[in-house]
Order: sequence, then C-alpha cells, then structure tokens
Amino acid sequence: MSAARPGLLCAALLLSACSGEQSVLAPAGRDAEVLATLFWWMLGGAVVLWLLMNGLFFYVTRIRPQALSPRAAEALIIGGGIVFPTVVLAALLSFALSEMPKQREPGENLTVRITGESWWWRVDYLPEGSDTPIASANELRLPTGQRSELKLNASEVIHSFWIPALGGKTDMIPGRETRMSLEPTVPGDYRGQCAEFCGESHALMALAGVVMTPGDFAAWLEKEAAPAAIPTSAEALRGLAVFNAEGCGGCHAVRGTEAAGTVGPDLTHLGGRVTLAAGILPMERDALIRWIRDPEALKPGARMPGYDHLSDAELSALATYLEGLE
Amino acid sequence: MLGHRHSSLWHMILAPTVWAVHFCVVYGWTAVQCARAGGPDAARTGVLIATAVALMAIVVLGWKAWRQWDYLDDFDYVHDQPTTEHRREFLGHAGWLLAIVSAIGVGFNALPAVFIRSCL
Ligand code: HEC
Ligand SMILES: [Cu+2]
Repeated sequence: MSAARPGLLCAALLLSACSGEQSVLAPAGRDAEVLATLFWWMLGGAVVLWLLMNGLFFYVTRIRPQALSPRAAEALIIGGGIVFPTVVLAALLSFALSEMPKQREPGENLTVRITGESWWWRVDYLPEGSDTPIASANELRLPTGQRSELKLNASEVIHSFWIPALGGKTDMIPGRETRMSLEPTVPGDYRGQCAEFCGESHALMALAGVVMTPGDFAAWLEKEAAPAAIPTSAEALRGLAVFNAEGCGGCHAVRGTEAAGTVGPDLTHLGGRVTLAAGILPMERDALIRWIRDPEALKPGARMPGYDHLSDAELSALATYLEGLE
Repeated sequence: MLGHRHSSLWHMILAPTVWAVHFCVVYGWTAVQCARAGGPDAARTGVLIATAVALMAIVVLGWKAWRQWDYLDDFDYVHDQPTTEHRREFLGHAGWLLAIVSAIGVGFNALPAVFIRSCL
C-alpha cells in the first residue's frame, strides 16, 4: 500500500461526514442554508487569517528579520490590530443579526407542537383552523414551500430540538414553551438528534425528519388524522388481541380503538413511520419484536416494560398488527 | 470627588464606565419592555436613544482626553517620567484609547436593536 492511501482514506472519511441525512453542511432548508453559508465564510476567513498571520511571522523572522520603522509598526498595530478586526467583526455581527429575524419569523398554515419526553418525542400537528391536534410521535413531517411553526416543550428535563439539515437548534424546557420555525426546501429523509444531555439514553433519542412536497404532505396529514386501520388478517387480529390482553393501551393510544394511553408514543399510524423507538431502529418486524421483548436492552432506562414472557408466535402476531397500523 | 482630570485615574475610566452603564441600561430596558410595558418598538427606541446619548458622552470624554494628551503639541508617545506633564499625558493618552474601545463596544451592543424588531 502506498503512503498516500491512508491519507486519502482519512480525507474520504472526513468528507463523508459532510453529506448525509444529519449534516449541517448538506442543508435542505432555508435556515440551514444560512448557517452553512455562515460556516463557509467563517472557515474561509479563518484560513485567510491563518495564512496572513503565519505569513507575517515567516516574513519578519526569516525573510526580513530586522526592526520595523516606528511608522510601519504603528500602521501595522493600528491597522491590523484595531481597524481590521473592528470592521470584520462588525460585518460578521451585522450579517448574522440581519439573518436572525428571518429565522425567528412566525410560521404560517401549520403549527407542530413537539414535546421532549424521556427519550422520545411527542409530536402534535395543528393545521391552520383545526383545534384538535393530530397526535403522532418520533417523526416530524413538514411540507416544502412554507415556513412552519414549531412550539417546543419538555416533560421532565431539558432537551434540545435539532434537525441539522433543516435549521438551528432550540432548547426544550419543562414548564416553558419555546418556539422556532423551519422552511424546508428539499424533499427527503433527514435525521434529528436531542442536543442537550437529558439522561442515560440521551444518545438514543433521535428523530426522523421527513420533508415532503405540499401535495404529498396534505395527503399524508389527512391520513395521519384518520383513525387506525382495522386489522383484517387473522394474524393481525391475534396481534390486536395480545395488544389488548397485555394492556399496551394503558400507555399507548391507537385512535379508533379502546387504547387511549398517553404515557408512551401514539401508535395509530406506527407502521407508516420510517423509524422505530425514536430513530434507533428501522421500522421492521424483527426490530418491533426485539423492541417489545426487551426495550431496556435497546434503550437503557426506557419507560416501557419488557414482554419477554410472550411466546414467539404472540410477538410475531403483535408485530403484524403494529406494522399494519399505517 | 473624582479629583483633577490631569491626575485622576477616575477620569481616565469614565468612557468605559459609560459603556458599562449603557450595557446595563440596554439589557434592563429591553427585559422590562419585552416582559411588561411597551413591547419591541419601545425596547428598540429606548436602546437607540440610550446609544445616542452614550456615544455623545464618549465623544466628549474622548475629545477631552485627546486634548489632555496634546499629542499634536509635542508628539509625545511615551510617558514614563515621574513628572506632572507625563502623568497628565499618560492619563490623557490612555483615556483616549479607552474612549475608542468604549465607542466600539457601545456600537456593537446596539447592533441587535438595529436589525431585530421583535422581542423573541
Ligand atoms: C408503562 C407504559 C408502557 C406500556 C405498558 C407499553 N409501552 Fe410501549 N412504550 C412506552 C414508552 C414510554 C415508549 C417510548 C420509549 C422510548 O423510546 O424511550 C414506548 C415505545 C413503544 C414503541 C415504539 C414507538 C415509536 O414511536 O417508535 C412501540 C412499538 C411500543 N412501545 C409498543 C408497545 C406494546 C406492543 C406494548 C404492549 C405489549 C407496550 N408498548 C406497552 C410505554 C409503554
Ligand atoms: Cu437528550
């Protein structure tokens, strides 16, 4: 292996972190674009400054190692030490401040209330003009082409809401509502992550961010507002029976059934989500079975009991039922 | 109370004091207006007025310090002798530089009020 290979490998690894579903540097929304622009300007400026400072250092120690005339020294100190940084800082501050009002603008048409729970996200959609929230969890869907309002809360401890590809982060504080707004531009699947240490499973508190075209979003929201699909297959019906017998409905709501718990995530359209258990697993049968059998093994401290006393057949039936809740 | 301008440290730090008072006034005023009375417009107007007043005060103090230094008289840059003249020039020189820093600080403090029109 040539000496250049490891270097290339490192560069590739570093750069691969720049794209992807959870990158500040691959913006998919207006707010994230501003932040990425700021970042690149700051980086460029820092590189130029670094070269200038080190160039100067090299010049005065190696190329012309002699005393400057007092006039030149004074010009350098006043120009490079006072005028230049003042102008640069004023320009950066003004640019950043001029961008802030846009990021704080109120959303229109759609408000989403997101509550940070212990290691998952309660997500309620409030479309303009409707007064009953549409309950969902662990996934934030937003339409392109408009600015949506996010109202943020927390139940027990401080969390921080952040989907890097869409915008900046905002803390979620118990007993106090904070807000932000997002204007996504590129449809796709993104990833958010709780950004404020909140306990043992903080690192396992992620969030799927799905950006859709306005048409797709409207259709999805209508579906999300509807009650749960009624199971038809025998297997799914057996799953529903297990669900009821085990008392899952004491903590989980499945709208349209008697399950109306609010301790855990709303499962009405669980099968339609892209991830399971706050972004840590794919929405697949195997993952569902593993999760229900032993949540603690997948997410330490999870506020859901394990059901390892259920037989494989019962777990499988449960998974079929839950998958069918699209 | 502050002693004579030509020998008093207090006079030298008057400009930074204006900066500090401006800082407190801006934060306090904004907090009060946004939480209770006025709202964003009152907050903004108050900050801009406080800034104009502070800048005028700093310009006056800076001008006095510049005169005290009387640089254009003798082009004295170093003031290291234990004499009345050197003390006066040193305090003027330092006061003048501090006035510049204070003016920049006050300006930066006020920039958010220039750009942001809401309380959020
Ligand atoms: C004591 C309350 C409680 C009971 C009982 C309970 N759960 Fe949960 N469940 C939770 C909580 C809390 C979470 C969120 C855990 C996390 O992600 O930190 C959860 C998460 C889930 C999830 C993932 C949801 C998502 O949005 O990805 C599924 C699926 C689930 N539970 C199924 C079940 C089933 C099936 C049963 C019954 C066999 C059950 N739960 C019983 C509290 C409960
Ligand atoms: Cu956290």
